[in-house]
Amino acid sequence: MFRAGFILSSMESSTTDVAVAGLKAMQDSIYREKILRARRQTPEQRLADVFELTNSVFARMHDGAMWQAGTTDAEEGWQIVRKRLARLRKMHDAGRFVDEPPVRQS
Amino acid sequence: MTVEDLACAVLDACEAEHVEHMLTGAFAHGLYGIPRSTKDVDVVVSINLGDAIAKVVSQLSGVVRFESQVQFDTLTWGKRLVGESHGVPPFKVELFELFDDPFVLSQFRRKRQLHSTLLQRETWLPTPEDVVVQKLRWGRNKDLDDARDVLAVQGPETLDMAYIEDWCGKHGTLPRLREALDGIPPLD
Repeated sequence: MFRAGFILSSMESSTTDVAVAGLKAMQDSIYREKILRARRQTPEQRLADVFELTNSVFARMHDGAMWQAGTTDAEEGWQIVRKRLARLRKMHDAGRFVDEPPVRQS
Repeated sequence: MTVEDLACAVLDACEAEHVEHMLTGAFAHGLYGIPRSTKDVDVVVSINLGDAIAKVVSQLSGVVRFESQVQFDTLTWGKRLVGESHGVPPFKVELFELFDDPFVLSQFRRKRQLHSTLLQRETWLPTPEDVVVQKLRWGRNKDLDDARDVLAVQGPETLDMAYIEDWCGKHGTLPRLREALDGIPPLD
């Protein structure tokens, strides 16, 4: 019984290892494609992508906020986006930015 | 307003006040690494004129509303001033004051001029080596990914790795550098 349990457990573990290895290979493959695509671009093309991605992400955040709030009022949608961005900023800045400089030890 | 309009407005304000500056953040990372979206326009501003930041803030008053509270970064104690663009979308602008941190000074001194047809102007950006060092120093997950992206896209063989290693040694971030390099998948 113990032996059967051990074998089953080993099989589960090896199945998990295979799944993890497969996932890692897929992640590497996706990342590799991203790297190679960026290498084919000029710096200006990459900069253009930053602009395009940023503008479209803001538009999608706005669309999502309006849909969730069930509103057709664009300004209400932007207010929600502002609140969400403020919350994100608080999280990202926590412990990294403070309002007062350090007190110098003598 | 688009994010590129806002970037132009910030650069215009710096130029109008003859304030030496450099674009950083996602723009610098995107130029050398894998483009990603951003929520803000980050600019390092020299304080050679003393009240440089106040002048830039004043120039931008029609476009950006800045918070009155200056903030300090707990890693280097550099100053940051945050603003939000008027109107929509609500983009952020972060002005970082140049200060006497040896790496920050080196990075600013080594900045490169780029003619951007998209921004229709000359602009200043850090070198890819300095972007890597800075990102590894900040060390948040996103920063570590950004550093790895720049190393992967530029290729370590094209970068001044001795310069990067030297600063990483001083900052105690050599393990992060090694991890970033190990994270680059085989590209052949």
